[in-house]
Amino acid sequence: MAYHSSFDKSKFRVGNIAVLPIRTRYSGPAPVETSTENEDIIDEAIKFFRSNIFFRNYDIKHDADRTLIYLTLYITECLRRLQKCQSRIQAQKELTSLAISTFPIPGDADFPLNGMFTKPSHDENDKMKQYLEQLRKECSDRMVDRVIDPETDKPSKWWLCFVRRRFMDKSLLNIGSL
Amino acid sequence: MTGRLPACVIDNGTGYTKLGYAGNNEPHFIIPSAIAVRERPGGSRIGQSGEDLDFFIGDEAFNAKGYSVKYPIRHGIVEDWDLMEKYWEHCLFKYLRCDPEDHHFLLTEPPLNTPENREYTAEIMFELFNVPGLYIALQATLALYASWIASDVKNMLTGLVVDSGDGVTHVVPVADGYLIGSSIKHIPISGRDITYFVQSLLREREPNIPPEQSLETAKAIKERYCYVCPDIAKEFSKYDEDPRKNYLQYTGINSVTKKPFNVDVGHERFLGPEIFFNPEFSNPEYNTSLSKLIDDIIQDCPVDVRRKLYSNIVLSGGSTMFKGFEKRLKRDVQRLVDGRLRESEELSKHKPEPIDVKVVAHAMQRYAVWFGGSLAASTPNFYEVCHTRQEYEEKGPSICRYNAVFNLV
Repeated sequence: MAYHSSFDKSKFRVGNIAVLPIRTRYSGPAPVETSTENEDIIDEAIKFFRSNIFFRNYDIKHDADRTLIYLTLYITECLRRLQKCQSRIQAQKELTSLAISTFPIPGDADFPLNGMFTKPSHDENDKMKQYLEQLRKECSDRMVDRVIDPETDKPSKWWLCFVRRRFMDKSLLNIGSL
Repeated sequence: MTGRLPACVIDNGTGYTKLGYAGNNEPHFIIPSAIAVRERPGGSRIGQSGEDLDFFIGDEAFNAKGYSVKYPIRHGIVEDWDLMEKYWEHCLFKYLRCDPEDHHFLLTEPPLNTPENREYTAEIMFELFNVPGLYIALQATLALYASWIASDVKNMLTGLVVDSGDGVTHVVPVADGYLIGSSIKHIPISGRDITYFVQSLLREREPNIPPEQSLETAKAIKERYCYVCPDIAKEFSKYDEDPRKNYLQYTGINSVTKKPFNVDVGHERFLGPEIFFNPEFSNPEYNTSLSKLIDDIIQDCPVDVRRKLYSNIVLSGGSTMFKGFEKRLKRDVQRLVDGRLRESEELSKHKPEPIDVKVVAHAMQRYAVWFGGSLAASTPNFYEVCHTRQEYEEKGPSICRYNAVFNLV
């Protein structure tokens, strides 16, 4: 059985994805998690990434699972960028630019998960965009910490080995642009 | 009984044949079930004199130049009787070095073997080798006998046998020594699939492995380092916390340059055997875990044997030897059972008696079928249930269609 998010009682949503508190210095629609002990959804996505990446089937149980799916696919994108990085500084640059590069949101024609994610209502469009960007920025930062090995200043092969696998056979990038 | 020579026990598997004499703990020979013959352009194998003897079996088959290697057994069932006859000939005369007229024989058969195949076996054994007695035993039943050496198991002839070798994994329910034929299932996940999966994980990470040695490296790593963990996400975290203890190193020798090469061994240690419990990792078409399959099969069996089957799940074959395998299987099956009992309690408001799932692992698991055969064939009862030559001469090969169950006590 694949791993599901433990945040099944989310209070807020945008489109049909859960808006969950995260620990971050980036501003955005997500509430700020102040406790440093509790895991937030990004910690959870990174923790489950290496297990979930092997699953082709995943039943969505609640809104937070959609947030988890988005983050899982985003982590694969991070790894794809990290492959080329030779140092921590370069990795930071790459992943920051990945986080703020133009990306599609649910409902856009080139968003790959439109079967599972619903298009946000017209007045929620900006909120969706900002929320995903906030998640991407924070996730990028944490991935640099996780993947760059402080001893060698290079990305760890124990993470890069997952770069070619595709969670649920999906990818945030279109196949054509790979 | 006095003065009788021990019976020969031969277990012909798809990948390997195990042979030896009854009464021993381990087979004397474990050889590939392969035979190398010279093939002529016409395709016919019969012809010139002396050709009958021109073949090799087992490991020698792979070294023979100018011969073609054949596997007479497919999916556990004999497909080519000409080759099988030759194969047995060498088994007896070259490996066991016995005079078949002096020994009784115990052969094994897979689940759902055909009665005709038993007749062919009988013809070869009685007419060609002139054996005094023959018994064809079910592999699953023998695996049950073998499990009796695990101390807490009381001579049960009812149990669910999970037999996983290199090529196929069978799950076979046995009640009082007889198969419940309608409920036998196999899953397309076995030792070889684990090797391939480990190989794919290594390929994505370890550039040092010479490509032509990647399969044998994966196999060595599987056999030496793999285990079954309770929860893969937790296992990943464990590796992060204590890398020294969990990441290991394997050193191989390059077959061309003779120089050693190093391979780091990591998550494949627990991800490899995980495909029994999450087959979708390696097989996109198949998604039923071994535990779910076992539960389904038992639910499919007659109601009066279900509890007994749950309490006696017996492991057999090399691919069940991973550390932690029986614990994980027990936990997963128990969870499914408990879930169902809870549901029925809610519906009926009546508390059902809990079911205790038990998975039996034991020291003789790797060659459990052969070992069971060795146990069976060393009891006096074996000679009573054996088909004798006299009987064969009176009634013909059809006597071997049916083989009585015997009770070892």
